[in-house]
Amino acid sequence: MYIAVTIAILIAIALGLVRAFRGPTLYDRIMAGNMIGTLTVLMVAVLGFMTGRPEFLDIALVYVLISFVSTIAVLRVYIIRGTMDSSSTGSGKE
Amino acid sequence: MEHLVDIVLLGLLMITGFAIVRMRSLLAAAMLTSIYSLLSASLFVVLDAVDVALTEAAIGAGISTILLLATVALTTDEEKAPRHTPLLPLVVVIATGAALIYGTLDMPHYGDPAAPIHQYVAPTYLHDTPGVIGVPNVVTSVLASYRGYDTLGEVTVIFTAGVGVMVLLGYRLRRCNITGPGIRNLIVLRVIAKLFFPLILLFALYVLLHGDYGPGGGFQAGVVFATGFILYALAFGLGNAQRLIPRKLLRIMVAVGMLIYAAVGIESMLLGGKFLEYRVLADDPVTGQRLGIMLIELGVGIAVASVVLIIYYAFVSRHCQAPEDM
Repeated sequence: MYIAVTIAILIAIALGLVRAFRGPTLYDRIMAGNMIGTLTVLMVAVLGFMTGRPEFLDIALVYVLISFVSTIAVLRVYIIRGTMDSSSTGSGKE
Repeated sequence: MEHLVDIVLLGLLMITGFAIVRMRSLLAAAMLTSIYSLLSASLFVVLDAVDVALTEAAIGAGISTILLLATVALTTDEEKAPRHTPLLPLVVVIATGAALIYGTLDMPHYGDPAAPIHQYVAPTYLHDTPGVIGVPNVVTSVLASYRGYDTLGEVTVIFTAGVGVMVLLGYRLRRCNITGPGIRNLIVLRVIAKLFFPLILLFALYVLLHGDYGPGGGFQAGVVFATGFILYALAFGLGNAQRLIPRKLLRIMVAVGMLIYAAVGIESMLLGGKFLEYRVLADDPVTGQRLGIMLIELGVGIAVASVVLIIYYAFVSRHCQAPEDM
């Protein structure tokens, strides 16, 4: 059961990474980054129960709090720039 | 099963590393480094190194991403096209990588019980910690007690980093009056920040005080604590955050954290022990050890939180219009 969940989460992380790499806009990347953060929380929780050490939930809690703040930091940089259009940020890869 | 997770995570890490190098948008690259940290932290969890995973999550995915973003906000978003051909660096990197891989061939296999690391002091630490130190988390006992000198050195490094940033970017740290453009419209963010701010601080205290029993300790607690105030600064503007934690206080607290640590060492010398020999701090040696570990973790936490906030203030206050001192 836990194994199936872990595999599903790993696949979802890989899909999120594809979106983070390809973009094309920064919003896609922010969403992907946030999603990978959430999935990591889930995976740490599942791994904790799979290996019989549920105290790993401490780490999952840190992830929740931290990944939330760094997502907000990205958005704040965006506001400071005042570049809310996707034209200047769309060119991720060259 | 764990091997499969290891392999998949390592593969994802490698792909992310390549993507970061290829990415020309610095904002996107900063976000990808955050993802990289999250993935490597999951790898540490799989490898059962939960203290390292906690540190990686708090520092790698949190603080260093935020500091990278603060730096990007001061410069441009686009990486400049390299002027030189990347051939020579490529050769150097490949040669170094090949040498490192060659070096690993002599290393014992992963998890080999006959490996030197499992023969030297590790069995002593694992065997003696419950009786001599009395804390369930062996990592904490090694970090804070057996290798207290090293940790003092690490705190000194962090202290030096804070001092270095202050020397380079202004000892007094600028005051910030502006609250940032568009800040008044961020109602959702403000409500969420009000909700999360006390929770983050509470969790930092939990990480600090629970470090004896579970993953955590002074370093992680300090970073989580600072992240709480950074969230406050993001939601309510740097000016308000500087009213909450004045710059003067931060400058004092950096030194206080460092001094608490060193004072524990000197106190144990005064009581007839060696430097950082905690067992003389109380009548019962185990109680003394626990007291010493708690005090130095507190010192580490204060120093780390202050340094992180000083660096954040120093970076972000470059945006402030009026560079008046104090």
